[in-house]
Amino acid sequence: MIKTRLAATALFCALLATTATAKDHPGDESIKSGGYHGPETCEECHPGTARKFLDTVHWKHASKVTNVEGLDPGKEYGMKNRIYVMCNGNDIVNNLKEIPKSPDTGKTKFTGCNTCHPGNHLSDVGSSGPEAEKAIDCLICHSAEYDFSSRKPFKDAKGRVVMGQDRSTKSALTVGRPKVKNCMACHEAAGGGVVVKRGFAFTKETDVHAAKGMVCVDCHRAQDHKIATGLDPNNWANDGTLISCADAACHGAKPHKDPDLNRHAAKVACQTCHIPRTGGAFAKDFTEWEKGSDGFYEPTTLRKEANDTTPVYAWYNGTVANSAHFIGPKGNRSDAKSRITPFKIFQGKAYFEEKSGELLSMDFAPPMANGDTRAGVESASRTLGMKNPAQVAQKAVTGWQTIYFGSNHLVTKTKALFCANCHAPNGVLRFKELGYTDQEVVKLTNPDLYMKKLAERQREEW
Amino acid sequence: MKNQLTLFAACAVLLLSLFAFVIPASAEDVKMVGTISKLVVAPDGKSATAVLKDTKSGQEVTILVTDELTLDKFKDKRIVEGDEIRCKFEKLDGKNDSKIFKKTAGC
Ligand code: HEC
Ligand code: HEC
Ligand code: HEC
Ligand code: HEC
Ligand code: HEC
Ligand code: HEC
Repeated sequence: MIKTRLAATALFCALLATTATAKDHPGDESIKSGGYHGPETCEECHPGTARKFLDTVHWKHASKVTNVEGLDPGKEYGMKNRIYVMCNGNDIVNNLKEIPKSPDTGKTKFTGCNTCHPGNHLSDVGSSGPEAEKAIDCLICHSAEYDFSSRKPFKDAKGRVVMGQDRSTKSALTVGRPKVKNCMACHEAAGGGVVVKRGFAFTKETDVHAAKGMVCVDCHRAQDHKIATGLDPNNWANDGTLISCADAACHGAKPHKDPDLNRHAAKVACQTCHIPRTGGAFAKDFTEWEKGSDGFYEPTTLRKEANDTTPVYAWYNGTVANSAHFIGPKGNRSDAKSRITPFKIFQGKAYFEEKSGELLSMDFAPPMANGDTRAGVESASRTLGMKNPAQVAQKAVTGWQTIYFGSNHLVTKTKALFCANCHAPNGVLRFKELGYTDQEVVKLTNPDLYMKKLAERQREEW
Repeated sequence: MKNQLTLFAACAVLLLSLFAFVIPASAEDVKMVGTISKLVVAPDGKSATAVLKDTKSGQEVTILVTDELTLDKFKDKRIVEGDEIRCKFEKLDGKNDSKIFKKTAGC
């Protein structure tokens, strides 16, 4: 019964999807005759959209955060103001600007964290009012034929740094639901290069959902541009709506025919079995930058492709430990809300304040031009209004911070972990470290647990 | 008859397994970082050639790109001439077949 209903829903969704792509956007005629002039063109038929957009994480790069320790519940946190070692800068200290000339080449370039913001930089992260509404780049998420050569920073006649946008009528005539590439325009190269930060590619080879033709917003549904997300320990800003694999609209809590698998879901997160690999950068050094072929410097980064690395497993109840040297999951075996969850582990080296031990942030402009990382710390400290920035930078000590990133894509069915992947003595879980007693570990690694089932499966397969 | 068939099947399997060994042995995976000096998308849009200038040796290497995702990035100019690329390619029949073709830059 449930199965037929599921199949019917799937069919319905598939039909919806095809009709949605087949049908033209009803605004086309009007856009064609009047041309595209930014959000006000869309507002003719979608009134209030731009104003509401200004109240989302995608515009503000910040929100109230309730699940992370040590934060002020009255303040907003996000890429706008956070300090952590994947980026070591943020929209404030590493604001988009033209960097000093490279002593080697005499050339300069533009860089800054807020290049990943759908505004024009004059109306920047978190700005509001009519000018901000007009500055939104609707097409970056909605055009199927966005011309990315327009999305570049440049200096206007007044010498201000502006982030360019494609505002052509041609691109506005391909408006529709956001496609994977629209979202990936920013999400793919976050953290300093393709796949670096989150370690996932969303392709038919790397994700079952992509293979079925699903797109980001099939799961990340949005209301008034508030996009639903999960509880990645290092993704703090959120628009207040959560999604999880076990949502009734997706798979529910008992998706398997095999009751043995369903039983595990109480203690083992879906992701643990279904996302057995991860990828991306696993270590970065912000204190020593490497010179690239163009004469500019970048933080030294050890990087891997999607599915090239293994995750680390920990109990997680959705609340987050947050200190200068660790950002990661809280939880334990005896907590009913905790489940064993996979994480992409990452370590970054940066500067810490000599006395307080707090992690310091960095303006990338100085080190990018000449490799002087302490000058980057000094500039950031000055922007933040710290006392005696030069001294802060000089006395800063180096150290590492470890981050557990959520690992929620790269989903597989065929390579999902099965009994022996965990219960064999060389299984992926370290039962002892997860809090099981020696006696329990003996039981949990006894082949009696899976012998019959795996033998049966072997007979079926051969 | 039945025996002959089994023999045939066995030979086929043997041959296939031979190929399975031979192909990866002769193909050579090469990794490089280089800047695109020339990018040409075929008129049918199904392939493209990119000339990469190796940042280490300065040598120019012509890479054949056929995967849809990268081709799409050429079409909407997410990847353009002058961009620095991390590339892994396989030398096959005198062609350099791209396996990984990604911009080094990010944000
Ligand atoms: C002349 C009126 C008109 C204009 C102008 C217009 N739209 Fe629409 N749009 C519509 C109508 C009608 C619908 C379908 C009804 C609905 O879903 O609300 C729609 C639907 C949409 C959808 C949903 C598409 C889907 O497949 O689910 C998006 C996204 C959208 N419009 C974006 C835009 C953007 C961005 C602009 C500006 C570039 C714009 N629209 C301009 C009338 C217009
Ligand atoms: C212009 C760049 C940009 C585009 C385009 C973009 N994002 Fe984001 N997105 C960001 C940034 C930056 C953050 C981090 C904000 C923070 O943590 O402060 C983010 C955060 C998120 C989050 C977590 C926080 C939240 O809002 O729930 C999700 C989920 C997300 N994006 C999904 C998407 C999807 C789906 C699309 C495509 C429709 C998309 N993004 C398009 C830049 C972008
Ligand atoms: C960061 C990406 C992003 C940007 C920028 C963006 N949108 Fe959207 N938009 C979305 C997502 C995601 C949805 C929900 C799609 C879905 O669930 O089908 C959406 C849906 C819509 C819809 C369909 C109705 C609705 O509200 O759900 C309209 C209309 C729309 N957007 C117009 C606009 C306009 C106008 C702008 C510029 C002012 C804009 N969008 C900017 C991501 C974006
Ligand atoms: C099959 C459903 C699904 C699809 C498709 C999907 N996501 Fe997600 N995504 C999730 C779930 C579920 C979570 C949160 C899970 C949790 O934290 O428990 C998530 C989390 C995220 C986050 C927060 C950080 C993190 O990794 O946990 C971002 C950003 C994000 N997704 C972006 C994207 C983008 C961009 C795409 C398209 C390329 C995409 N997602 C496609 C299901 C999906
Ligand atoms: C203990 C490991 C484990 C856990 C936990 C787990 N799964 Fe699975 N799941 C599997 C395996 C293994 C398969 C493949 C079964 C097969 O091939 O017969 C599978 C298959 C599936 C399928 C495909 C079912 C089908 O009939 O094709 C879905 C959907 C699914 N899982 C979703 C989930 C969701 C959602 C959760 C969390 C509520 C979850 N799984 C938790 C191991 C697990
Ligand atoms: C992702 C790793 C993982 C996979 C895959 C997995 N298990 Fe487990 N299993 C566990 C963990 C962790 C526990 C302990 C759960 C708890 O704390 O209650 C457990 C508990 C059990 C128990 C209860 C043992 C006891 O004495 O309390 C049985 C029986 C079991 N698993 C059988 C299986 C079988 C059969 C399969 C294959 C269908 C399987 N497991 C797949 C991780 C796994």
